[in-house]
Amino acid sequence: MSTPKTEFLRFTGHRAFTHRLVLATLTGRPIHISHIRSASPTHPGLAPHEISFLRLLESVTNGSVIDVSYTGTTITYQPGLITGTTPGAGSSLASDAIEHILPATCTRSVTYFLLPLALLAPFSKAHMNVRFSGPGVITSATSTSGPGDLSIDTFRTALLPLYSLFGIPPARIELRVLARSCPGPGGRGGGGLVEMRFASQVRLPKTLHLNRRPGRIRRIRGVAYCTGVSASHNSRMITAARGVLNQLVSDVHVAAQYDPAPLVASGTEKGGEKGGSKRKMGIGFGLSLVAESSAEGVVYSADEVAPPQGGVVPEDVGVRCAYQLLEVIAQGGCVTGAAAPTVLMLMAMGAEDVGRLRLGREVMAREEIVGLARDLKQFGASSWGIRDAGDDGEEGEGGDLIVSVKGTGVGNVGRKVA
Amino acid sequence: ARALHGKRRPYRAVDLARFMYDTSLTPKEALQKWRGEEDEEAEEDIEQDDDTFFRKTGNDEKEDLAEDRSIPRFDYEDLAAKWSNTDAVEALRSRFATANLLDEDGA
Repeated sequence: MSTPKTEFLRFTGHRAFTHRLVLATLTGRPIHISHIRSASPTHPGLAPHEISFLRLLESVTNGSVIDVSYTGTTITYQPGLITGTTPGAGSSLASDAIEHILPATCTRSVTYFLLPLALLAPFSKAHMNVRFSGPGVITSATSTSGPGDLSIDTFRTALLPLYSLFGIPPARIELRVLARSCPGPGGRGGGGLVEMRFASQVRLPKTLHLNRRPGRIRRIRGVAYCTGVSASHNSRMITAARGVLNQLVSDVHVAAQYDPAPLVASGTEKGGEKGGSKRKMGIGFGLSLVAESSAEGVVYSADEVAPPQGGVVPEDVGVRCAYQLLEVIAQGGCVTGAAAPTVLMLMAMGAEDVGRLRLGREVMAREEIVGLARDLKQFGASSWGIRDAGDDGEEGEGGDLIVSVKGTGVGNVGRKVA
Repeated sequence: ARALHGKRRPYRAVDLARFMYDTSLTPKEALQKWRGEEDEEAEEDIEQDDDTFFRKTGNDEKEDLAEDRSIPRFDYEDLAAKWSNTDAVEALRSRFATANLLDEDGA
């Protein structure tokens, strides 16, 4: 930028890649990440989804400088302004959205990109409209023995509502799933089409106080989806999940979503719509369950999907998803492990005020959360205060923790009112 | 009562805050310490051991395989065993709106 010598924050390793880049973009600090899978003999350097995320970052910001070394094991990133979708720049579509094409080698679900993008979007100068297309868009969850991403249904029903707690109206966040897809053969590629229109930009997100009891589970909602397999898989998954859950909650409603498998051009690499032969991609099925509590803003979610190599009956997927949901509920706290990074990061970037969040001990004791705490501190946020919730009578092993996070008041540079 | 416990109690909130920002530990080590999984002797050994530098590579490879993930890894065998047990389900019932709020013995 203008100053020739910039102070880089230095990180190592490939973990928390998107979180670090998001933090760098929000705080405007340039970062340098080295040793990205440098010890891996087969796949050193950045993975396809990480490269793709860098491209996405470049298209929603203005003035970012990204340098990747030859081996891809080191990158430097100097963040620019978060512009969102500006007319003309990059938005090739008539629908004024940035089109982001995911490569066929992508193994991560589209929520891998949506989670960090949704963190950037409230701080954007203009609306953030991004359409994900191409042969790599996976809308389903990715298998929990593999990458372990959320499905788009969980993202929409369990994560986006959390933004309302920060004063970011979810009514203006629109997520359109135009075509669904499960992971393709070998977990690679999909063929879905997803459009997120994030129209609620704020000056400064409020912090939140979720430090009371998490309430009781009132109802369970969910989406069963199958693409390219018999629609009866949906009802089989739902029946199996109900068998586990109905003894605890009677109000269980799971929607069934059946789609034909998307067609993806194959054969010739350049093959556009014409020419190359097409084949069906992203065949599979999965289940997303969301438990809503009587306390405001407390939701628990679980995701399960058939692995791309198959060999799992729908009943198993349903039962596993239900068990996972019970386990997540038993972990306690007001926010699940899947949503905690998002909530904690918004708290840290929000108003200069102390927010409190109640988390289960097992949620807190994840490496991601500890890593996030350290990264936040390195980016200049203050340390978290941690204490026992102590209102449920059990100390030590079982009880929840209350995390106090002080916001840094980063706010939206594009919306600073003179 | 504390004198009876020779070892520190695991899972203490105060300890977590201390380990979390102790950058000489990796997040994994910090959490292991918090859970009390690592016993004190092993810790002493590592400090005296000169080979730590070389032994680290084994861990690094394992780290390299680990990706960022949103859904934690679950062992479904364990989960199935846990949640098909009625005691566990009954224990969780207090978290559901169907629970008996008055603590009466209805059944």
